[in-house]
Amino acid sequence: MKIKVMKFGGTSVATAEARMTSALRVISAKEQGFDPVVVVSAMGRRGQPYATDTLIGLLKEIDPTVGPDPRELDLLIACGEIFSAVIFAHTLKTLGHPAQAFRGGQAGIRTDGVYGNARIVSINPASLVKSIEGGFIPVVCGFQGVWVPPYNPPGGELTTLGRGGSDTTASALGAAMGADAVEIFTDVDGVKTADPDYVPEAPTLRKVTYDEVAEIAHLGAKVLHPRAAEVAMKFGIPLWVKNTFSDDEGTEIVPREDFPGRRVTGVTHTGKLVYLLFDLKEASEGERTVLEGRIYEQMAQHGVNLFMLNLSPSGTGFAVPRSQYTLVQDILDGLVMPVGQAIFLFQIGGASREVETQARLLEPLGPIKRVVAELTENCTMVSLVGHEYLQQPGVFLAVLETLIDAQIPVLQTSDSDFSLSVLIPESETHRAVKLLHDRFELAEVR
Amino acid sequence: MRANQHTDFEKPRGVSHVEVRHGYAQVHVSGIAGNLTRERLSILRAVADSEISIDFLKLTQSGLSFLVAEGRSEDIEAALSPLELHFSIRKGRSIVLVHAVNMRDEEGLIARIVRDVILSGATVSHIGDMHNRMLMVVDSAEAERVADQFRESLVEAAR
Repeated sequence: MKIKVMKFGGTSVATAEARMTSALRVISAKEQGFDPVVVVSAMGRRGQPYATDTLIGLLKEIDPTVGPDPRELDLLIACGEIFSAVIFAHTLKTLGHPAQAFRGGQAGIRTDGVYGNARIVSINPASLVKSIEGGFIPVVCGFQGVWVPPYNPPGGELTTLGRGGSDTTASALGAAMGADAVEIFTDVDGVKTADPDYVPEAPTLRKVTYDEVAEIAHLGAKVLHPRAAEVAMKFGIPLWVKNTFSDDEGTEIVPREDFPGRRVTGVTHTGKLVYLLFDLKEASEGERTVLEGRIYEQMAQHGVNLFMLNLSPSGTGFAVPRSQYTLVQDILDGLVMPVGQAIFLFQIGGASREVETQARLLEPLGPIKRVVAELTENCTMVSLVGHEYLQQPGVFLAVLETLIDAQIPVLQTSDSDFSLSVLIPESETHRAVKLLHDRFELAEVR
Repeated sequence: MRANQHTDFEKPRGVSHVEVRHGYAQVHVSGIAGNLTRERLSILRAVADSEISIDFLKLTQSGLSFLVAEGRSEDIEAALSPLELHFSIRKGRSIVLVHAVNMRDEEGLIARIVRDVILSGATVSHIGDMHNRMLMVVDSAEAERVADQFRESLVEAAR
């Protein structure tokens, strides 16, 4: 068998016309001698009848204050892909190519038991092989699998893979079936040097490494999910990102050794964040350690996600997703922490009524030391991604100078082997991405 | 084609391994009194003009901090001295890297690691995060002990 896994995203299956275009690509692959295995996302995006967000909305409509059970939520949102797979298979059938739809579990995809964010642990593609041998084109529901708990319920428990899960499905199926190629079809020409909504002239990269594309994806590019790139990298699966609606050659994703060289790959942006900077100057060194430990203990206990950490003798700081900020405020604002003989009172931003009440109540106990967290709401993270480039002298300077000369405040930085990120006000995202794209001459990249 | 195979695909959740990189010096510039933003730029310009690569830049409340290769310590001193700022260079620094795939998507994972690091008693002078790893700057003499401690508490806990 000469397997080609072809994954079609939401816009590629949203309408009858789009499904026809996608189906013709599958048929073309078959005519070229491949055995296509199709993976589909739910049909359409936010607001459309069978899109994942629309299905979640059905539960919110009942009572927005009551969160759904993760198990039930997975059962519901997996329906989007089931609709999509059945309709896509039927589209192929109407074009004279018999096809069979498979749920993730039917395709042999086993996951761990984390509802809403499951990881694939194994794939047994026997049913897909049998389908191909029977002359069918298998059409697999992306984004889902089955967890088999220890009590072994018949059929297991349906799980979903989290954001971008359909890309991961495609990549993992490609690995399990020893595919000749995995093609991720979307509505842009491939991996671009920046979000084209922000930089319309951003070119499509013809070739990137698995590392670069994983980094770009982790740091905000929505064209391919990083888990998909990581699976492809682990198994050396040839991976492409292509546009369903154009004949552009797309982006080929290759191992590092196949595309050496020093370069800047792109500029990304991600996250709606709130930055908190805790001033611990009033604490002694011993007290500071205890306070920091307890701050992070609280964040860990409540499952808060942290970004852009900083720890220095004068304090500590981190960003949190805006969706979790109210929780952080509830936890920390007005919190009283005795450390040895000292009493510390936490204040997030300006003094709230709760903080002042606490302060008055504590007055009889002696002097209170306040830990004030300076608050910067509405931040985002903009990142420069590169290959063997960022460690060169002057790159940090070039990034900061570009932004600061444009009066864009930089709140914090973070770097890795492949990227350099800055935390900036969200209102400046568009300008920052464009300025960095221009500064590093990314419009010239091919 | 390899049908009927069971294969592990995705990296396991949680901390997968701990790594130590030696041979750094930590530069800490503090107490900047004037225009903090502009002074930070002049520091980075002086470093870039001396062709020195930096890692792990962090903006602090009154300055900034970064790492350089230990072998460039004298060069960095020569580059920063003319600026007449308060700075320190601590040689013998190492980075302990705690690797965990997609760690920013795992609720509370980063906070748990930082909590464990702080409560371990290790003297961590700087900390940073990316999507797949956390980096902590420690004295080289402490680095292997700290890494072993993390391996025991974090990697084992993830299994």
